[in-house]
Amino acid sequence: MAFLNSINISASGLTAEKLRMDVISRNIANVNTTRTADGTPYRRQVVVFQEGDKLAPFSSYLNDASKNILGSGVKVSGIVEDKTPFKSVYDPGHPDADEKGYVRMPNVDVMAEMVNMISASRAYEANVTAINSAKSMALKALEIGRG
Amino acid sequence: MIDRISDKSMILEKALDAAWMRNEAISNNIANVNTPGYKKSYVRFEELLSDAADKFQISGIKKDPRFIPIGKDTKVTVTPQIAQESFTSMRRDGNNVDVDVEMAELAKNSIKYNALIAQMTKEFGKIKLAINGR
Repeated sequence: MAFLNSINISASGLTAEKLRMDVISRNIANVNTTRTADGTPYRRQVVVFQEGDKLAPFSSYLNDASKNILGSGVKVSGIVEDKTPFKSVYDPGHPDADEKGYVRMPNVDVMAEMVNMISASRAYEANVTAINSAKSMALKALEIGRG
Repeated sequence: MIDRISDKSMILEKALDAAWMRNEAISNNIANVNTPGYKKSYVRFEELLSDAADKFQISGIKKDPRFIPIGKDTKVTVTPQIAQESFTSMRRDGNNVDVDVEMAELAKNSIKYNALIAQMTKEFGKIKLAINGR
């Protein structure tokens, strides 16, 4: 566990960023969805990240090493709905328009989603780099005493 | 006996441990770059080692209780420690991870690790030379 822990940590980062990317894609895909299963317009969804649990071996509680505990990466604590109000757009010909001709559109801001997508993509790349670095270090360690 | 030969490599081992731990800490920081409220952690080793080196005194080897003690029996015992930088904030969500700094640290740490491995390999080469001769 401890030997390749950094790869596990980075993998948790990859999983989390990938999920974030999936949710962003869903938001963008549903930017014009006015009718979901319960009849309301689509609500933007947000992924909430949380620091991973600090996994410590039992022995570490007994000695001074208890402060030498690293977290185990990141975990997704949930996907929550964005509570901001829906946008009202005047479009009397729309089948979901109310009697005044306004349609409630999803609260998705495509521009913000694009920015978040770049952020998620860059974070993903950073995690990949960290994995490669850990991998090359581990392979290098196998060369001890070979020369 | 082999411990006596490879005394120096114990320090190298600890330095390798510290570098490995630092890699984990950096990975953890990078994984949590978008976690609200996360504070970066880092590994302290070099400064602890230099503190210990300041206190280190030359002492005689005491293999037998009848030996006359020379100097104080000091041994460098340094273990890498994890610390958290909890006072700064990079962004409004309370996270203080700077990815650029972390990437630079990652590259630096990896090179340091490789250097330590090279040094250790050389150290073992010397022992091998002492055992086998030319």
